[in-house]
Amino acid sequence: MIRITSRWRNTLAVALTGVSLFSVAAASAAEITVWCWDPNFNGATMEEAFSRYKAIHPDDTIKVEIFEKAAMEQKLQAQLASGATDGLPDIVLIEDYRAQKYLQSFPSSFEPLTSHVDYSTFAPYKVELATLNGQTYSIPFDSGVTGYFYRSDLLAEAGITPDQLNDITWDQLIEIGKTVKEKTGLPLLPIDPTSSDWIRIMLQSAGSWYFDADGNVTIKDNPVFKAAVETYQRLMTAGITTPVSGWTEYTGSFTSGKTPSTFSGVWMTATIKANADQSGKWGVAPSPRLDGVEGAGNASNLGGSSWYVLSSAPEKEKAIDFLTSIWAKDVDFYQKILVNQGALGTYLPAREGEAFKASDEFFGGEPVWQNFSTWLAAIPAVNYGIFTEEADTATVAQIPAITSGGNVDEIIAAIDAQVRQQIQ
Amino acid sequence: MAQSALARSERINGWLFVMPALVLLGIFMVYPILWSLWMSFQVGRGMNFSFGGTANIMRLTQDPVFLRALSNTMLFLAMQVPIMLVLALFFANALNDSKLWGRGFFRTAIFLPCVTSLVAYSVIFKSIFAIDGIANQTLLVLHLIENPINWLSDPFWARVVVITAITWRWTGYNMIFYLAAMQNIDRSIYEAARIDGVPAWARFWFITVPLLKPVILFTSVISTIGTLQLFDEVNLLTQGGPSDATLTLSLYIYNLSFRFMPSFGYAATVSYVIVILVGILSLIQFIVAKDRRA
Repeated sequence: MIRITSRWRNTLAVALTGVSLFSVAAASAAEITVWCWDPNFNGATMEEAFSRYKAIHPDDTIKVEIFEKAAMEQKLQAQLASGATDGLPDIVLIEDYRAQKYLQSFPSSFEPLTSHVDYSTFAPYKVELATLNGQTYSIPFDSGVTGYFYRSDLLAEAGITPDQLNDITWDQLIEIGKTVKEKTGLPLLPIDPTSSDWIRIMLQSAGSWYFDADGNVTIKDNPVFKAAVETYQRLMTAGITTPVSGWTEYTGSFTSGKTPSTFSGVWMTATIKANADQSGKWGVAPSPRLDGVEGAGNASNLGGSSWYVLSSAPEKEKAIDFLTSIWAKDVDFYQKILVNQGALGTYLPAREGEAFKASDEFFGGEPVWQNFSTWLAAIPAVNYGIFTEEADTATVAQIPAITSGGNVDEIIAAIDAQVRQQIQ
Repeated sequence: MAQSALARSERINGWLFVMPALVLLGIFMVYPILWSLWMSFQVGRGMNFSFGGTANIMRLTQDPVFLRALSNTMLFLAMQVPIMLVLALFFANALNDSKLWGRGFFRTAIFLPCVTSLVAYSVIFKSIFAIDGIANQTLLVLHLIENPINWLSDPFWARVVVITAITWRWTGYNMIFYLAAMQNIDRSIYEAARIDGVPAWARFWFITVPLLKPVILFTSVISTIGTLQLFDEVNLLTQGGPSDATLTLSLYIYNLSFRFMPSFGYAATVSYVIVILVGILSLIQFIVAKDRRA
């Protein structure tokens, strides 16, 4: 309401002063509306970006609207489907897994930015994810390179040193979990049984996904998928995890020390560093790898997202100008959001900046950003396709069966059958 | 047939008076219903439609998720509606007793849940049935269970919670109908029965229930429709989980439209399944009620 009202006021002001429309568009104060889902992370980086833009354009304002992620995605999808563009933002954040779904389902709803941005300055895989029929639609934002975040002080109580966490397999991590449980009584990892994040991380770490490069289902008879489900089953039945439900309970678990570690994308840094009193007590190790799988590595990806401008945006020109002049230009900005929010941008020139090379006292003086950059380069590229949501749902439906020790082949066959049925 | 000018002008005026209502009804009811029927024959991803004939109906028969959603919905219907209506009848009868102390308070208390916000009560139920919620704590203190029950992540208990939640919310609503109908029953019938020495249970069973039959029919049709369209509670409590154990048809329609790669055509087909089910079940209820009366 407020946004609409103020826009009407602007329009009225324009009409009253009788200035020609063209010059007003350049001079009048614009309010850019943005939808995203994390006040500590993408919301905070957007605010930071805009504060830099405001220094040059003092009249403009931004309105960052934060939603719960799934709610925001469903709201966007419902509204795009309705065809009514009133109430849509100027800029929206979309997770990489879902980008192609939106681009293909709602043609001409998003603004191609190919003519505004030099995409050779962004990580190629991010550009690829937002490209359809030769047009690229996004300003690539963050990478979801994964790491194993742990409380070094709590693991030290169990006699675990950082060296023991380097380049290990999942089964070695399970053994470490058992030691930790025995010595400290703490479950090593919080796991939400209604999310397939862990299986997705394992799949991509070995260069696999629910689908192959052409979008064919690769679930049944995929050795990586089988290894991932088996590893997840061993993890869940080893007694070293605690079930959590929902995001708040999940993040609360490791930030309060109820569990000494978690396994997530680099963007989790923002949530962890929000607890300043835990400075120096955290460490980051590379992701574990799948045992006995060809192509399995110690690098994977979880999430990662990009900014999109809507074709219907009332402040479209302004939004594009803002995104290109900060997000596709300002190297210094990327240093700041890296240190403050743990946002590992995919703007390549920013990698040469100081912050990327600095060590971080919060993580015990380790050069964590350099490590993440190294792991980032090692992530196997996969095609997320357009049906990741369906495949996730089919997988999550089987998690109770996996956790209760069900037959892995039967479970995989059930997931495969459901996904094949759902993707027509 | 010749018509007087007056009659014709009255007829035209009559239509003009109802026209605004008819136009609105046409735009907001008839048009969407016909359009969704047309949609249910469309296939394609997102906004790219093409005519698919019976493709969506074929897809229905082979869709394990649809069958799961259908069986969950029927299970909720078969379990929840009878429990709720019997409870409502029981409460109505108890609160109809003019000698009961504080019955105004009890009536309000039992009716109150159905005016609370769906979202608010679902959130409260979610916290009551959390792993360290009040439900588990009470049961643990009473030594009825050894370990806390994982209400919302166990398929069986998640269904129990959903059934409990909707029963809690809608019992009072149905009770009000029964209560109103009971107050219309002539007291002299009960008086005559009492004089003849008819026991209380028989007065209830042979006088109250038969006289309430039209209202019972009405509430069972309304409740059947409501349960077939069940969405809010499951979406807020469990999102259809765990393992699709509480996935309902309406939630599946929502997922098909707004969570998955949007298949609006197929979603419209699933919504017509609900329409057909409501039609069939209502018809059965009418036939059953008629038979008994004869």
